[in-house]
Amino acid sequence: MQYYFFHLMPWPYLPADFDERYDSAWVWLPNSLYDPVKGHELYKEYINTLAYADELGFDGICVNEHHQNAYGLMPSPNVIAGALTQRTKQAKIAVVGNALPLYNPPLRVAEEFAMLDVMSNGRLIAGMVIGGGPEYFNYGVDPTHAREKFREALDLCVRAWTEPGPFVWDSKHYHFRYVNIWPRPLQQPHPPIWIPGVGSLETIELVAKRRYAYMGIPYFHIDVFRRVFAQFREACERAGYTAQPEQMGWGVPIYVAETDKQAREEFEPHFWYFVKNLLKGIGLTPPGYTSPRSALAILKNHHNFLYTKKTWDEIESGVYAIVGSPETVRQKLAHYQKELGCGVVLTGCQTGTLSHELARKSMELLAREVLPKVRGSQSAH
Amino acid sequence: MLRTLKKLKYSVRVMLAKGGGQPETINLHGRPTVVSSGGEGPTFVYLHSTLGESFMWLPFYQTWSKSFRVLVPTHPGFGQSGGFERIDTIEDMAWHYLELFDALGLEEVILGGVSLGGWIAAEFAVRWPERVKSLWIADAPGLWVENEPLPDLFRIMQDRNKLRDVLFHDPTGHMASMIIKDNPAEEDMLTAYQSMTVLARLVWERPYNPKLAERLYRIQCPTLLVWGDHDRLVPPAYGEAYHRLIPGAKLELIKDCGHLPMFEKEGEFVETITRFCTG
Repeated sequence: MQYYFFHLMPWPYLPADFDERYDSAWVWLPNSLYDPVKGHELYKEYINTLAYADELGFDGICVNEHHQNAYGLMPSPNVIAGALTQRTKQAKIAVVGNALPLYNPPLRVAEEFAMLDVMSNGRLIAGMVIGGGPEYFNYGVDPTHAREKFREALDLCVRAWTEPGPFVWDSKHYHFRYVNIWPRPLQQPHPPIWIPGVGSLETIELVAKRRYAYMGIPYFHIDVFRRVFAQFREACERAGYTAQPEQMGWGVPIYVAETDKQAREEFEPHFWYFVKNLLKGIGLTPPGYTSPRSALAILKNHHNFLYTKKTWDEIESGVYAIVGSPETVRQKLAHYQKELGCGVVLTGCQTGTLSHELARKSMELLAREVLPKVRGSQSAH
Repeated sequence: MLRTLKKLKYSVRVMLAKGGGQPETINLHGRPTVVSSGGEGPTFVYLHSTLGESFMWLPFYQTWSKSFRVLVPTHPGFGQSGGFERIDTIEDMAWHYLELFDALGLEEVILGGVSLGGWIAAEFAVRWPERVKSLWIADAPGLWVENEPLPDLFRIMQDRNKLRDVLFHDPTGHMASMIIKDNPAEEDMLTAYQSMTVLARLVWERPYNPKLAERLYRIQCPTLLVWGDHDRLVPPAYGEAYHRLIPGAKLELIKDCGHLPMFEKEGEFVETITRFCTG
């Protein structure tokens, strides 16, 4: 089992009446609500927290890309990852990921990931994403070609990393006379590729066929992960091999404190800030971004999405977060990681408005009192 | 109550009109293309809006079919028409119609359309003016007017009340609630998603064609611009811009009408166009 520490870098200073006044924390939330002076302190502390995860022995740390929103302040996760290469020693640095269709040319991703791999001495995990629906509003990129562009750009990056340049590239959306990236990645044949997804069959099939790793994005009912990993295992069988645990990542927020009661008290208000405010608008889906059938499935699955949850009971029974004493968290984590058969857990201890101090206390308890006891547990599959 | 009666009345008209036009699927170089037709007389091609109102023979087609041979093709990507994989830009739509008219042996047509359909008609007419006998364009995008930015339909459509507000002069009227239903059936949602996907491909990155304005001078045939005076999606300023750029064009505003005159002010809309195209 591997445990990755995920940080979203949320904006914790939304006004108290945000929910009444604004219909979204994404795309059109006025950026006058952002304060760069406070922002400077936040970046400093968020990066400190990520570096601390390395000291505590997490297997890796994760950053990701979102634009024009209060949910996550990393329009360029590669900038943060660049800082982390200099602040960390052991942990893998997982950028999950770069939204390939937003980059023109997508060679930029191949280059920056190669830089990060060389700078980190081969610790990069290269995450490739289609990008969320809001990003297509943000960057004005045609959503109806998102999946085509994603596949082409993914192939381009892998080829740019593995085939000696210069070579000519020609595909429907991209044409290059000279593909010849400097630097080349240090890991051979290329950095591990992780593809985050929210359960679309198209993505599951693609990841399985190419033997990459599928990272299930959090904020869904545990049933969704059960279905997704079952579908992933089937897709791998169809592709002629058995899925390996390290190909499956489960994203779940975890918070540990001295007792169950204390954990919930410390965590809950900050989690609701995240759910009610920061998730508002994340589901914005432009037409053509998925097939009509997938779009309908997303709509029908809406009740399994964290944003619709109102009570702590729903959070606990749906395993939208694991919160409690070290013993409680150990039991739940051991149970579900075994049941899901995943080999990677992506967890954020920080959420919403939670203070840096409490986030680090939870990380310490998780790293010292929980993870050593659950690392060895066997998968049920 | 009154609204229910009006809805009922429209449904009866739809039932009565239904048999007037016959759908046919044409194999256009391997792409299935649905074309409905009815009536006799000069050929009159109606290009539909993003609503995809070609899916059945509607009362306003039936009225026109008393004066014309009315053809209502379904654009690539809408309904049962294929070929969307070959459509990247509005120019591809214009080329599609060149190929369709060639396949149907149509030398010269009366061409018109509403909204997206009107834009396609304009793009066709600037390229092949000799194929257009007369042209009408209603509530169409295609241009960009400074200080009148088009609203973001893709944002507005997330809320059905706001969508009715932007599409209709009277969002509480019976047609508004018939066209934009409160609780659409699953099939209707899928159809709408498919239609909006086609529109997104054409307008997401830039909601107009920057080359169109400088090409409109090529249109030499009689041209009528018809606009709802309360069109909030493509405001009348766009009609005025077309009017300025197309030589000798006429502009008629329909009073108390929004973006969809064929539904909100059907009688006046149909009559205005018939008068222009027969005159």
